[in-house]
Amino acid sequence: MIRVVVISIALLQAGVPRSAQQLPQRLGGANGPEAMKNSEDRPAPRLADGKVDLSGVWTGGGDAPVERLLKPGELENLMLPWAKQRFAMRKQNPATDPYFDCLPGGPLRITGGFAWRFVQHPTTNSTHIFMLQEGNAHTYRQIFIGRKHPEDPSPTWYGHSIGRWEGDTLVVDTIGLNDRFWLDSAGTPHSEKLHLVERWTRINFTTLRRVVTIDDPGTFTKPFDVTFTAKLSVPGSEILEYICIENNQFPDRAVPDSK
Amino acid sequence: MRMKLVGVMVGLLVGATSGIAHHSWPVEYDANKPISVKGVVSKVEWTNPHTHFYVDVIDENGKLTTWNFEMASTVALERGGWTRKTLPVGTTITVTGFGGRAVTTKAIANSMVTVDGKSLFVAPKN
Repeated sequence: MIRVVVISIALLQAGVPRSAQQLPQRLGGANGPEAMKNSEDRPAPRLADGKVDLSGVWTGGGDAPVERLLKPGELENLMLPWAKQRFAMRKQNPATDPYFDCLPGGPLRITGGFAWRFVQHPTTNSTHIFMLQEGNAHTYRQIFIGRKHPEDPSPTWYGHSIGRWEGDTLVVDTIGLNDRFWLDSAGTPHSEKLHLVERWTRINFTTLRRVVTIDDPGTFTKPFDVTFTAKLSVPGSEILEYICIENNQFPDRAVPDSK
Repeated sequence: MRMKLVGVMVGLLVGATSGIAHHSWPVEYDANKPISVKGVVSKVEWTNPHTHFYVDVIDENGKLTTWNFEMASTVALERGGWTRKTLPVGTTITVTGFGGRAVTTKAIANSMVTVDGKSLFVAPKN
């Protein structure tokens, strides 16, 4: 039952109609760009330099709670004692997730139910790849291609990400993350020692596979992998403006009859 | 079973309204508080993380209560065909939904029908 709800929520959250013809004009609908056929039967497109083209508007790819991607109890078995305690506390108090205050959700949750866009810049021999997030913090993540991490970077919400290509897979290595966000909506804790290695592969035209190695000796006894999937949005889709803080009434709910 | 269904409905609805489940819906709304009101739309907030519309309801004693109903994010509604003009102030509507846990005059909308029988969805369809 829970899975049904989660799947349904994910579908509804994306809020993307099946047909481009259903889309309003400014979203690329009937009078928008000519629709091209999206299909899992088509291979991933390539850029002029031969690299796989990851660009496009995607949904999903990082919003599933990590524990649901592992065997029952596996995640907690990997946690150090403090992390087990913190995880249990957060589950008791889901409203304390900083995400509900419109703060960033970190590298995994930037690819949640909202649309998001991969941008490879320049379009060949990219030096930067950006992930533009429509939802929540309405922000971006930048991946530097062919660079090294700085020494001891100051911890930030998205950390310092460097990318390289291994064949058709973009490998993104991220350090320098702060511990102020919840790793996922279930409240999985982490520390500033968190090191993420993401392997992004466009396995067909409409599907991105993201295998993430979560390595955090401050939280877990050993590294482990989880796999997410993102789907290409319908042709002509655009990310839209979303300013979370403009009318966030969520904190009011804790104060009886405050409004 | 009934409770499960209600839970699913609320889950679907709030999931949809959040756009990314921005809120933890069980914290805010109570599946045991189904509500149905008829009144006049007095304000629409075409905003994020959620849209809100306010409905003035007068009970049999003439007492006015303004309900604050929550719907989807603008981006989710817009993809579903809404614009900021879809629900004009002054529209008489019947709304169903689920009441708030902490604030009794706040609710999550589950269905909306105008006085002339037009049904407006509150969550995007796929």
